[in-house]
Amino acid sequence: MRSIDDFTRPLEYISPMDGLLGSIFREWVEKEVIPYRRQFDEDYREHHLIHPPFKKLLGEYGLQRMIFPEDLGGWGMGRSNYMCVAAFRMFEEIARADSGMALAFGALFWPFLFIALEPHENRRLLEEFAPMFCETTEPVFAALCMTEPQGGSDIENVEIVKGTTIQTTAVKDGDEWVINGHKLWPSNTGGLAKLMAVVCTTNPGSDDPRDIAVIFVKDDMPGVTQGPPYEKAGMAADMNSDIWFENVRVPLWYRAIGPGDDAKYFGEVMATGNMGIIAWISGAMMNIYERLSEYTSRKRYRGKPLKEDDGVAGLLADFAANIENIRIVGYQCARMCDRHDLYGPLWHPRLVAKMRAQRYLAMDRFIDVTGRVMNLMEAYGTDRDWDVEKHWRDLKILQLVEGSKQLCQIEVARWFYECETL
Amino acid sequence: MNAMEIIPFPRKRLDKADLDLAATLQALVEKEIMDKRLELKEDYEQLLAPSFARIMSEIGLQKMFWPEEHGGEGHNGPDAAYTVVAALEQIGRADTGLAFLAAHSLALQAALAQEGARREETCAAFASLFCSGDRPVRVSFILPALTEEEGAPEWRGKGFQVVAAPSGNAWKVSGRMVRPTCCGLDADLFGAWCAVADGDPAFILVPGDTPGIARGTELKKTGLAASRNADLERLEATVPDANCAWRGNEGTFRLLSWYYLGVAATASGALLANYEIIREWGDNRVIKGKDHIFKDNPLTAAVMGEVAKDTSVVRLLAYELAGMLSEAGEYGGDGSQALYTMALMLAHQACASAEHAINRTMELMASAGYAKEWQLERYWRDVKAMQCHLGAYELAKHDFARWFYDTVTL
Repeated sequence: MRSIDDFTRPLEYISPMDGLLGSIFREWVEKEVIPYRRQFDEDYREHHLIHPPFKKLLGEYGLQRMIFPEDLGGWGMGRSNYMCVAAFRMFEEIARADSGMALAFGALFWPFLFIALEPHENRRLLEEFAPMFCETTEPVFAALCMTEPQGGSDIENVEIVKGTTIQTTAVKDGDEWVINGHKLWPSNTGGLAKLMAVVCTTNPGSDDPRDIAVIFVKDDMPGVTQGPPYEKAGMAADMNSDIWFENVRVPLWYRAIGPGDDAKYFGEVMATGNMGIIAWISGAMMNIYERLSEYTSRKRYRGKPLKEDDGVAGLLADFAANIENIRIVGYQCARMCDRHDLYGPLWHPRLVAKMRAQRYLAMDRFIDVTGRVMNLMEAYGTDRDWDVEKHWRDLKILQLVEGSKQLCQIEVARWFYECETL
Repeated sequence: MNAMEIIPFPRKRLDKADLDLAATLQALVEKEIMDKRLELKEDYEQLLAPSFARIMSEIGLQKMFWPEEHGGEGHNGPDAAYTVVAALEQIGRADTGLAFLAAHSLALQAALAQEGARREETCAAFASLFCSGDRPVRVSFILPALTEEEGAPEWRGKGFQVVAAPSGNAWKVSGRMVRPTCCGLDADLFGAWCAVADGDPAFILVPGDTPGIARGTELKKTGLAASRNADLERLEATVPDANCAWRGNEGTFRLLSWYYLGVAATASGALLANYEIIREWGDNRVIKGKDHIFKDNPLTAAVMGEVAKDTSVVRLLAYELAGMLSEAGEYGGDGSQALYTMALMLAHQACASAEHAINRTMELMASAGYAKEWQLERYWRDVKAMQCHLGAYELAKHDFARWFYDTVTL
C-alpha cells in the first residue's frame, strides 16, 4: 500500500540524523498531536492541548537545544552543514500534523540564527541564553520581533526600504540599550516567549544599514508587555500578539552581532524562513494526500470508488505531482541553505531571492490544487473531521508569513533582472 | 461612490420594488450585522439567528413566492429571479452563510410556487408554515452525494442518500448518516430528493419535527456559521402524500437552477464586501515608508484591478442567470436540463471567481487578511464552504459535457 514515504526525497544528501529524527517526529505526531489537533482551533488562547506535545518535543526530547553548541548543552546543529536539510525533515513531519506547530517550532530558532551560525557566532550571548533552553525539560519559546503597526512587510524588505520605516528605537545610555517600540505578530508571543530578538533602529529614519540593530530582550525585563493572542483563520498553535517595549533596558552586549552585520545577517532568517515554509507546505500536502486517498477509496461515483473515475484521477494526479515537485525542490532549497561552499552565503540576496521564488511558487501550487481537492470532497471538504480544510486554512496564513506574495515577487524580480528601484 | 454603485449591474432590469427591497436590506444588514461584527463575530445566538429571523420573517423573504391566497406575497412571476439576486447579494455582503440559508428557502419557494409551474397541493400544505407567524423557516436539501454504499441507486453518477416508498396515502422516507446541504441541526423543513424503487425519483418534503429523525451533533466546519449543520444519523419518517412535491427530473432541475442562482448571488455579495474591504485598505495603507499609497503601487494595483474585474463579472453573471431564469423559454425551458446545466456552470464560475478574488485580496492584506478582527477571512472561508456544497467541480464538468457534447455513457 502506498504511503507518504513513497514521495521522492533526494537521498544523496539527507542528513546523517535523518532516520533518527524522522522516526522520533513521526511517532510524536502520531501519538501526541494528530489525536488532538481537531480541537486546536478553540485552544488558540490557552494552549491547554497544544502545550503538552510541545513540552514533550522541546523540553523532554530536547529539540529546543539543537542549535546551541555541544559544549553548552546543545546538539551543535548551528555548526553543521546539514542543519537545514535536517530541519526540512523535522518541519515536514510536524506540518503533516499541524503547520501551526511547525511554524512555532521553526520560529523558535530564528533569533538564534543571528548568534549561533558561523562566521558570526556570538559566544557570549550563546553562553548567556543556552542555560534557559538546555538546562530544563520545560518548553521555552523565543520570538523574532519584526513587524510594526505601520508598513507591514516593510521591515522584511530590508534591501529597498533599508530600515527607514522602523519605529522601534534602541538608544545607548551608558552600558545599556534603552528600547521603546511596538511590534505586531511575532510567532511565539501572546505570553509564550521568554526571549525575544527585537529589530530596532539606532537612528530613526536612517537608511544606513548600520543603524539596524537586532537586540535580545528577556520577557521578564521591566517594560516588556505581551498582549493576548490574536484570533486567526487558523494556525492556533502559532501564538501571536502585540508586544510593547517601554524603556526596556538591556546590556549593550545583548546586540546580536553589530553595526551592519545585524542587517546583513537578517537575510539568513529570510532564506531559512522561506525554505521552512516549503517544508511546511510539503508536510501538510502529504497529510492531505493520506486523507484524500482514503476519501476517494471509500466514496463511490458511478458504481466505483471515486479514485477510479478517469476525470477525478486527473486531479489526484495533479495533487501527487505537486507533492513530488514541491518536496524535491524544497530539499534542494534546504541543501542550498546548508552548503555555502557550493551556493554562496546564506544571507546573500541571491539566495534569499531563490528561496522566495520557490516558496511563493510552491504556495501558489498548494492553494490551487488543495482548493480543488477540497471541492472534490464536497461537503466533507469543509468538515474538520477530514482535516483537509484545516491545512487549507493554515497554509493560507503561511503564504503571508515573512512578507506577502508581492514582496516575494519584488525580491525575485529585483535579483534576477537587476531592478534598481523596485 | 460605494460598491453598490461602482460595481456594474443591470439596474434597468430591476423594478422599483427590487431596488427598494435591496435598499431596505442594505440598511438592515449594515445596522444589524456589519456594525456588530467586531463585537459579536460569528455568534449564532446573538447575531446570526436574530438577523435571519428579521430578514426572513420581518422583511418577509420567506413569503415572497407563495400565492397571495395562501398568505404569501405572490411575487412569483418571471422577474422574481432579479429580486432574488438583488436580495441575496445584499445579505451575502453582510454574511455569506445567512444568504446561503436564504437561498435554500427562495429556491424551494420558486420550485413550488413559480407562476406556470405551481404545485397546488404542496403549496396548500406548506405555505402557511412560511407565511403565518413570525418564525423564520430554515430549509435544507438532501441531495445525491458521494456515498460509501455499494449498489446504491444513483442520480447522475452520485448515490441517493434517501430512498422513499409509497405507503397508502403516505410516503416512507429512509436514510442513514445523511449529509444535508445546510442547517441539519435545526432545519424546520428538509427537501429530500429520493430514490423510488419502481419509478421516477421523488422530491419529498419532511418537516423537521417529523418523528423518526435523529440528528447528530453539530459539525465543525470551515465556515457558514449561520448554517449549523449536522448529519441525520437516522431518517425513518412517514409523511402525507401531499409532501411529495414532484416526481422526475424536471422539478429537481427547476429547484437546483434557482438554488444555483442563489449561490451565484451570494458569491456576488461576498465579493462586494471584499471589494469594500480592499478599497479601504488601498486608500489608507502606506508602503515603502515614503508616502507611497498602497493602491498606487503598480504591482498591488494590478491585483486590486483583478479583484474589481472578478467582482464585476460575477455580479453581471448572477444577474444574467436571473435573466435566463426569467426568460426560461429562450434557454431550453423552465426545468430543463439545459437551464440546469447553465445555472450549475455559472454558480461554479461565481464561486471559483470569488475564491480567487478573496484569496488575492488576502495576499495584499497579509496578516490583516487572516486576522479575524479584519473581517475578510470570514468571506474566504464561507465562499469556499459554499462552493463545496455545490458539489465537486470535477464531477460538475461531467454535467456540462453531458449537455454540451451529448455524451453517451457519461
